[in-house]
Amino acid sequence: MNGVLSLLKPYRLKMAAAWGLMLLELAVELVLPILMAKMIDDGILAGDLDTVIRWGAIMIGLSLFSFAAGITNSFIAARIGQNYGYDIRKKLIEKVQSFSFAQYGHFDTSTLITRMTNDVTQLQNAVFMSLRIMLRAPLMIIFGTVMAVYVHFGLSIVLLITVPVMTIFMLWMMSRGARMFQRVQKKLDKVNSVMRENLTGIRLIKAFVRSEYEKTRFQQAGTALMNETIRVIRTFESIVPILLLVMNSSLIFILWFGFVEMQNGTATTGEIVAIINYAARIIISLSIFTFITIAFARGKASAGRIDEVLQIEEEKLKPVTDTYPKEGAIEFDRITFTYPGGTSPVLNELTMTVKRGEMAAILGETGSGKSALLSLIPRLYEPDSGVVLIGGRDISRMNMDLLRREIGFVPQESHLFSGSILDNIRWGKKDATEEEVVEAARKAQIHETIEALPDGYNTVIGQKGVTLSGGQKQRISIARALIRKPDILLLDDSTSALDVKTETALIDAVTEEECTIFIVTQKISTAQLADRIFIIEDGKISVSGTHAELAAEDSLYKRLMESQGRKEDAYEQTGR
Amino acid sequence: MNKQGANLKTKPKITNMSGTLKRLAGYLMKRKAKLILTMIMVALSSVLALAGPFIIGVSIDDYIAAGDERGLLWLLVGLAFVYISYSAVMFLQNYWMADIAQKSVYELRDDLFRHFHMLPIAFFDKRRHGELMSRVTNDIDNISSTLNSTIIQIGSGVLTLAGSIVVMVYLSPILTAVTLIIIPLMFLGMKWITSRTGPKFKEQQRHLGDLNGFIEEAISSRHIVKMFSREDEMIADFMEKNGRLREAGYLAQAYSGFIPKLMNVLNNSSFAMIALAGGILALKGHATVGTIVIFTEYARQFTRPLNDLANQYNTLLSAVAGAERVFDIMDTDKAIDESTGGHHHILGEVVFQDVSFSYEKGKETLSDVSFSALKGEMIALIGPTGSGKTTIMNLLARFYEPDLGSILFDGVDSREISGSDLRRQMGFVLQDTVLFEETVMENIRYGRLDATDEEVVEAARLANAHAFIMKMPDGYAAKLSQDGSGISQGQRQLIAIARAVLADPVLLILDEATSSIDTMTELHIQEALSRLMEGRTSFVIAHRLNTIRRADQVIALREGRVEAIGTYKDVVGIENA
Repeated sequence: MNGVLSLLKPYRLKMAAAWGLMLLELAVELVLPILMAKMIDDGILAGDLDTVIRWGAIMIGLSLFSFAAGITNSFIAARIGQNYGYDIRKKLIEKVQSFSFAQYGHFDTSTLITRMTNDVTQLQNAVFMSLRIMLRAPLMIIFGTVMAVYVHFGLSIVLLITVPVMTIFMLWMMSRGARMFQRVQKKLDKVNSVMRENLTGIRLIKAFVRSEYEKTRFQQAGTALMNETIRVIRTFESIVPILLLVMNSSLIFILWFGFVEMQNGTATTGEIVAIINYAARIIISLSIFTFITIAFARGKASAGRIDEVLQIEEEKLKPVTDTYPKEGAIEFDRITFTYPGGTSPVLNELTMTVKRGEMAAILGETGSGKSALLSLIPRLYEPDSGVVLIGGRDISRMNMDLLRREIGFVPQESHLFSGSILDNIRWGKKDATEEEVVEAARKAQIHETIEALPDGYNTVIGQKGVTLSGGQKQRISIARALIRKPDILLLDDSTSALDVKTETALIDAVTEEECTIFIVTQKISTAQLADRIFIIEDGKISVSGTHAELAAEDSLYKRLMESQGRKEDAYEQTGR
Repeated sequence: MNKQGANLKTKPKITNMSGTLKRLAGYLMKRKAKLILTMIMVALSSVLALAGPFIIGVSIDDYIAAGDERGLLWLLVGLAFVYISYSAVMFLQNYWMADIAQKSVYELRDDLFRHFHMLPIAFFDKRRHGELMSRVTNDIDNISSTLNSTIIQIGSGVLTLAGSIVVMVYLSPILTAVTLIIIPLMFLGMKWITSRTGPKFKEQQRHLGDLNGFIEEAISSRHIVKMFSREDEMIADFMEKNGRLREAGYLAQAYSGFIPKLMNVLNNSSFAMIALAGGILALKGHATVGTIVIFTEYARQFTRPLNDLANQYNTLLSAVAGAERVFDIMDTDKAIDESTGGHHHILGEVVFQDVSFSYEKGKETLSDVSFSALKGEMIALIGPTGSGKTTIMNLLARFYEPDLGSILFDGVDSREISGSDLRRQMGFVLQDTVLFEETVMENIRYGRLDATDEEVVEAARLANAHAFIMKMPDGYAAKLSQDGSGISQGQRQLIAIARAVLADPVLLILDEATSSIDTMTELHIQEALSRLMEGRTSFVIAHRLNTIRRADQVIALREGRVEAIGTYKDVVGIENA
């Protein structure tokens, strides 16, 4: 057992118990026809009423016994099945959470979602099925055949031929089916993906009146899923008629040879009846076996998909230092960086130094690598070459959690979670008191706005926090970073939707904190507030200095400045 | 006044099983001819299934025991014929049923998707995406796997049951009565079981949806999770939901597992009882051995469909749990903007008349906003964050409906123009730029689907996006990801602008369209934008002076009210620098 199946190991004992109970049940079922034959031969034919009653009572008693065994089996099997699913999901979430950014790139979000819900359900069903009837059907077939041989060898020869042939046929179907189901799951991924795109882009889709276009896209994905599903169902469901035809034909042979044997005096009516009875049970078990085949093929397909996720290796961690230097500059030493999947580097031998406690503004043209630069500090990505140093220590050798705990990050797109505003701010520091939340909100210049809401801090916001304006979301996301009292604060153009007045107040409040600030911005007015300004051009720092220094030089900074006029913000300019 | 923004209330919901089943049946009935054919096959196969053991019984009693070789041969030939037809009929019923069931599932999914597109924006703002996705995949998948087998099994179950009873009564009324004893027992047992499984199935689907929602949110916000080192908390939250799903699933599955066991014990007991009663009858000369044999065979034929019916009923409950969640969405009221209003050819004049609006009761986002834009004018909206700028855009696009007052397009009330007709004539650059998992080319073409490649490239040039696109490894053929990794926020905005350029609208709406773009690039785009705005009425939200310098009117908003309105000079108060 390897891969996801190895997660069944802890349940070995329980599984054995479930199977044991299943065997008991099975034994009863197999014994019943023998008792029946005995009752006919010894009781009815001999005219002995007592024997008839005795065997009848035993048969009823055994039935009740097998019922008790069956119920217990059902509880145990459900427990194991659900625990197994629970364990797989646990392993999956742990694995996915350990993914680095580059590793997330291996899977589309929607396929990860399908794998964590739908595929786990399929696998869980297969396990449950195996505990309840998997052994049952094959054993029923084997015992049925053995018993038939025991009752009358000659009449059972036909079963000895057909049963193995049909079993092999179904095993072959199972491996074929797994591949087909893998295709089905892939199509389901696609449906999921189109659906997700439509949910995240609903505003745009409505704005551009593209509903019809999207419906066509969804129909294509839906049709592909339907066709694939129909194909696999038809393949599997054609097994049953074939199987029945083969097995039923053997009944005809048994009847004919039974007749011949009886003429020769080598078989009794009771024996023929018993063998027909066993054969009928074998046929039923074989058709149940097809269901198992389907569930297993499906489970196998899903197990493969889950294993693909679980087998992604966790990135090798270099020797780790467990201290975070609170002093010393933050340096980028000849950093070259290419986005995963990209072909040309965004940052090229970039070198820069920011003194501890200073505020560094980073400016550059659209797509010049400003965000990339910021994302290297918390090690969201690792550089191709070069090192980032904090207080002289290489951060790639630093404990990741320790490093990130010291960093407050505000991404370009403010991403809020469903929940209250309080929860969202507290997200930055889970044990924060309400006072700390309010303090962070105050610094982020959002406290008054929140207070003005009917439910204040308890206002619930949707996944995208949509009833809040863009600027309000940005400020909540800033408060979430500030509450950590970070040593390094990264603001990735996260004040773009703020008016200058609010922004200035915010930055004033933030600079009072004892932290080093990296701020990516488009606005000269914001950059002016920084201790040092860095200009990125062609993946390198082309020039750096204070506002006054840079304004004097002929540089990109000057051109940017000229493009912005004296005062940047329109509303601010109104003087209100 | 009915407020559309919060209008998420639904029609009276059908939560009863028969109502949900009826709606599901409606989908199946769309393929009536095939369904009838399938049912005929089911009937045939049921008859053939009964004929088999009957012929075997006769052959043992009348021919094998009697040693009639010729008669037996003929009988066996007949039996062979029965078996061949049985398999053929069964193949056909399965073949057609796969088609019926999967097409119904497809339509159901399609209808659900279509309905999503008719729902108001407010609906999506309040729901977890992953939870909604679960309805399209997990819930419908649940229905899908049920429909295939259930219809046939129920059909054949009922027929076989009826047939068996008839034959059994004919063979021996006393033994039939003995067999039927298990029916009331079965009903009691099933009632006990399904009253437990039904609610658990619903819980299971709900928790699965919840989990799906959580995963979607966790993965799409992975950068934040990583940055704040919150992996462990995410895992803990996940495990809590995971645990709830496990509990519901455990009980649903364990109780469902009772059914075959219950049927098995009833089956075995009836087998034993028939043997017992038959034995007594045979001894007294009221029945032959052959009759008992046939009878036990029929008793099995009788309990098997009962077993199937019981199992299928339970499976149906699980499908209903999924279907209810699907219909729940389909019963949510459509957006008003889709259901009212017709076509109006927009010329470009827009008037806001005392418009008030609130997203949530008790907190007005816009109060008494009035202004008018002439055809071809550029209107700039400025104001601190949260002053209601984006809300005005939302109302213009009829994503939401004003609570009070009205919006007039060339004198026509917006309520009389259908939302999609209105938006078809508008071009948008929204605050959140959305990319699709498509090539750059297709992403821009989204602005106008019939645009040629040359037109797309031209639009990209105007939007200043051409240069960076050409730097990408595959240029216009480069595939973008939904989460936009690999290209910067500013570049995404350039693509969004190219989209709007391509759309060639009557009315243009730019909501912070250039906020993440550096000011030099913006200067270049401004050229293109002002060319684009020529002759079109346009609404622009921006903080930067550059962006709005050319505005004909500037509207300054504060806390949802118009604070000032006038020319750039009047409101902003400085000459072009």
